[in-house]
Amino acid sequence: MASNAAAPFWRSAGMTYITYSNLCANLVRNCLKEPYKAEALSREKVHYSISKWADGKPQKPTIRSDTPEN
Amino acid sequence: MAMAALRREGRRFATPLISPNPATVFRSSIIPSEEPVLSGVRCISTQVVRNRMKSVKNIQKITKAMKMVAASKLRAIQTRAENSRGLWQPFTALLGDTPSIDVKKNVIVTISADKGLCGGINSTSVKISRVMHKLNSGPDKENKYVVLGEKAKAQLVRDSKKDIELVMTELQKNPLNYTQVSVMADDILKNVEFDALRIVYNKFQSVVSFLPTVSTVLSPEVVEREAESGGKLGDLDLYEIEGAETKGEVLQNLTEFQFSCMMYNAVLENATSEQGARMSAMDSSSRNAGDMLDRLTLTYNRTRQASITTELIEIISGASALEG
Repeated sequence: MASNAAAPFWRSAGMTYITYSNLCANLVRNCLKEPYKAEALSREKVHYSISKWADGKPQKPTIRSDTPEN
Repeated sequence: MAMAALRREGRRFATPLISPNPATVFRSSIIPSEEPVLSGVRCISTQVVRNRMKSVKNIQKITKAMKMVAASKLRAIQTRAENSRGLWQPFTALLGDTPSIDVKKNVIVTISADKGLCGGINSTSVKISRVMHKLNSGPDKENKYVVLGEKAKAQLVRDSKKDIELVMTELQKNPLNYTQVSVMADDILKNVEFDALRIVYNKFQSVVSFLPTVSTVLSPEVVEREAESGGKLGDLDLYEIEGAETKGEVLQNLTEFQFSCMMYNAVLENATSEQGARMSAMDSSSRNAGDMLDRLTLTYNRTRQASITTELIEIISGASALEG
C-alpha cells in the first residue's frame, strides 16, 4: 500500500494532513478535461491576510493570495 | 443631440419664470423651488425640511440597494452553507461534540465579518467568545484568541489584546471555498499550540434567526487520553484502525481534517448569517427612512399650508382695510 509508506514522508517534510490533501485535490483537479478544469481551478482561489500578535501588538500582516502551498 | 437641443430650449423658456424678481419672491416660499429662500421674507422657511427630506430619500435608496445586494448574495451562499453541513456531521458522530471538556490550552477561534451594517452578529460572536474565555480560565490555564474578520478584532482589541494570537482578515475577497479555509486552518494549526480549539460563529437558521454556536475540536493527545480513560470519548476504542499506521497518526490526521471541515462550515454559516442579518437590518432601516419621510412630508405640508393661509388672511384683511 503506497499510502502507508507515503504518510511518514509528507509528515516529516513538514506538511500537515491539510496541506497534503490540498495538494492531492489540486492534482485531481488538474486531471479534469478542459471546460471543467478551468472552472474547478478558478473556483478554488485563496486570498486572505494574516497577522501574528505578540504582547498585544500586531505584527506586520502578510497577505496569502492564490498560493495554496504557503 | 435633438434631446439636448430641446432641453436647452426648454430651459430658456423656463428661465424667466424661475428667475428671482420681486414679483416671485412672494411666491417662492410657497412653491417648492430650487432657489434658496431670501432672508427677511416673512414666512417660515421650509428649506431645511426640504433638504432633510431629500437626504432621507437618498438614504432610503441606498439602504434599499444594499438590501437587494445582500439578498442576492445570501441566496448564493446559503446553499453552500447548507451543503457544507454534511462535512462536520460524520465527525460529530465519530468524535462527538464536547464543549464542556476541561483542558489546559484553549484556543478560541472567533469568526466575524469584515464589514459592518449587519445587525448584532459580530458582537454576539465576540460576546460568546468572551464567555468561553471566562469559563475556561483558571490558575494554570491558557486562553488565546484567533480572530477572523475586522469587526471582532476591533472589539477584542479593547479589553483582551494580550490574548490575541492571530488575526485573519479579507476572507471574502473571492467567494468562500474549501481550499482557502483549509489553508487558513493550516496556518492556525501551525502557529498555535492547543489542547482544544473552540470555534465561535453564528449558525444560520433562517433569515431572521442566527444561533451563536461553539464547535470544539480536540487535539489528538486529548482525544487519545479521553478515549483511553473511557471518559467522554470512550466509544472510540470500539473502532478498528486498518493499515499500518498507529492510532496516534490516524488521530492526528483526523483532527487536522476535522478542524478544516469545522472551520469551513463555520465560516460559511457565519457569512450566511451576515448576509441575512444585513438584509433584515437594511430592510428595517429603509422602512424607518420611509416613516421618517412621511413625518417630514406631513410637517412640510402643514407649514406650507399655514404660510399660505397666513398670506391669504393678510391680503384679504389688507384689501378690506382699503375698502373700509
